[in-house]
Amino acid sequence: MPAAVLEQTINGLMSGSVYVLVALGMVLIYGVMHVLNFAHGVLFMLGGYVCHFFFTRVTGSYALSVLLSMGVLALVGIALERGVFRPLHGNLRNQVIASLGLILVIENLVVAVWGPNALQMKVPATEQLVPLGALRFPLQHLLVILVTFAVVAALFLFLKFSKPGTAIRAASQDRLAAMVVGIPVERIDWTTFALGTALAALGGALIGPLFLVFPLMGDAPMVKGLAGILLGGMGSVPGAVIGGLLIGVVESLSTLVLPTDYRDSVAFVVMVLILLARPQGIFGVRVRGED
Amino acid sequence: MLRVLAALLSLLPAFALAQEKVTVGIVTSLSGPMAAPGKFQMNGFRLAEEEINSAGGFALGGRKYLVDLKAYDTRANPAEGASAMQRLATVDKAPVVLGELHSGVAAAEAPIARDYGVPLVLTIPTGPGLTEQGNPFLFRVNANNDQLTQALADFVARQGWTPLAFIAWNNDAGRGGVNGMKKLLGESKIGYIGYFNVGEVDFASHVSNIRAGSARAVMLLMDEEPGSLAIRQIRDAGLKTQLIGTLAMGSDRFLKRLDADRLEGMVQYNAFPPNAAVPRIRAFSDRYRKKYGEEAHGFAAQSYDGLMLAVAAMQRAGTVTDGRKIRDALAAIEHDGVIGRIRFDSKGQAHPPVYVTQWCANGSRRILFPESLKADCGGG
Repeated sequence: MPAAVLEQTINGLMSGSVYVLVALGMVLIYGVMHVLNFAHGVLFMLGGYVCHFFFTRVTGSYALSVLLSMGVLALVGIALERGVFRPLHGNLRNQVIASLGLILVIENLVVAVWGPNALQMKVPATEQLVPLGALRFPLQHLLVILVTFAVVAALFLFLKFSKPGTAIRAASQDRLAAMVVGIPVERIDWTTFALGTALAALGGALIGPLFLVFPLMGDAPMVKGLAGILLGGMGSVPGAVIGGLLIGVVESLSTLVLPTDYRDSVAFVVMVLILLARPQGIFGVRVRGED
Repeated sequence: MLRVLAALLSLLPAFALAQEKVTVGIVTSLSGPMAAPGKFQMNGFRLAEEEINSAGGFALGGRKYLVDLKAYDTRANPAEGASAMQRLATVDKAPVVLGELHSGVAAAEAPIARDYGVPLVLTIPTGPGLTEQGNPFLFRVNANNDQLTQALADFVARQGWTPLAFIAWNNDAGRGGVNGMKKLLGESKIGYIGYFNVGEVDFASHVSNIRAGSARAVMLLMDEEPGSLAIRQIRDAGLKTQLIGTLAMGSDRFLKRLDADRLEGMVQYNAFPPNAAVPRIRAFSDRYRKKYGEEAHGFAAQSYDGLMLAVAAMQRAGTVTDGRKIRDALAAIEHDGVIGRIRFDSKGQAHPPVYVTQWCANGSRRILFPESLKADCGGG
């Protein structure tokens, strides 16, 4: 049944793209600041809500709402870096606990503002169906994949060739050496945070019209994104991309042979197996944080 | 000034004597994951309360009593439900408690009802096990899952919609529903079964599997939110399979989540078709629309009947305080409600009619079952 395989591959690429957007933000922040931000999933969710707000209340343009949501979340990211993570700099444990606390704060704030029920985001322009052989997909479905690929390409170019991108890489390789050569690492910290949260917002805003916008929408992408990071190699940007996509595709294809309620376990079994064979992950770079 | 106040105060008991109040306990979800259906439940109770009180209250032993609803929010949480039930029995001294949406929460409330001798009348939870515990103080107005499944299984078998595939919640409600249908239809009539966890929103893998299988129909054992997502994903993927839904999917509210194109042809079991050509249903729907400005909902109708039934039981028992006597009255009562004739069996379960309705191309519904009430588009 090649049609089912094709269908599930595309579905897997779609969910994998969402994991990639979450994973990229987490990996960038981890690289520069050496902190695993567990609140990344709720920032993803907040991105969905903010996009919903702009789309239904302010502007009727979906594209504009996505960009506005990324902008707002970038500001939220800067505020979090300044207000929460910078004061705790150098204390990994406290930063992790703070990020766990942020989950509760943000989630309850969202429930207080928008209520506990799922919101619908109907975007007629992207609801139309695109035939692909015998199959067909909503445009939004393919849009998630295309936008993610474009963003990943842009991010690579940015990190490779632009000055701030090079500075981010330098700061993540060696913070002290970066300081010595005159890179303003504190500015790099908040730029990276803003970039990471904007990517999370993009994920939430892209998935909102396909599924619903609800308080727990970021949980699964966060956990799967994290699995993608570990799979690809902690701290590696290409690793996060490959790892996220791989988790998405493998779990989707698994449902063709295994009961669907095992889908979530499949992602983690794959992760465990690969890490057993290759503890540093596929794109294994050196282990950070514990040195 | 003080003397005037004292005079006014002395008038109060006299006034209270003329029209006493009976506190009726309500357990429902005003917030949390079941807040939306909880609103229908409260709407039903409030409508009944308003009708009773605007007529000057209900008569009992030459007196008139007003109904005073004391509602607690149990938030789909068993611990909250148990403490609310206890409070209603001990602090508020409610002679009877009504409501609840969530079967798990109802299971936590029921033993407390028995301990304090306060009858608990459920109006929405469908878990079949609730009325199998031998609890004499528990009553259920609405049809339970087994009753609903039975009606649907008969209908599906007659239509020849087998093999039947499922997308079902990976919990008691979903697995129980699948097993119930399996038992009724026979294992050989069952196709693909896919379970999903609460909170999952991506049904693409189920769609692939259903496409690859040979099922003639897909049953969606879930509520509104995942239901709307599943239907959209099934139809968008180009699957033309017959869809079968639950009672959460036969309302105008559900139509608003989707559109007539995607819903056309889908059938669902239903406890209360608001547009049926039955005088009691029509009258209720009109009164409901007048008060709330929207289509009447089965949950509201069941809850409305619950309160009317409780009042009738108090009148019959001749008391507004003795929970045990009210229980005995409930056990023997026969009440013509909005949803149909309500009479409890020895387990406290009522047997109201179950309908199967179908979505028409123009976004209205029609009744396919029972045969005697068959109605065309717009009548369901």
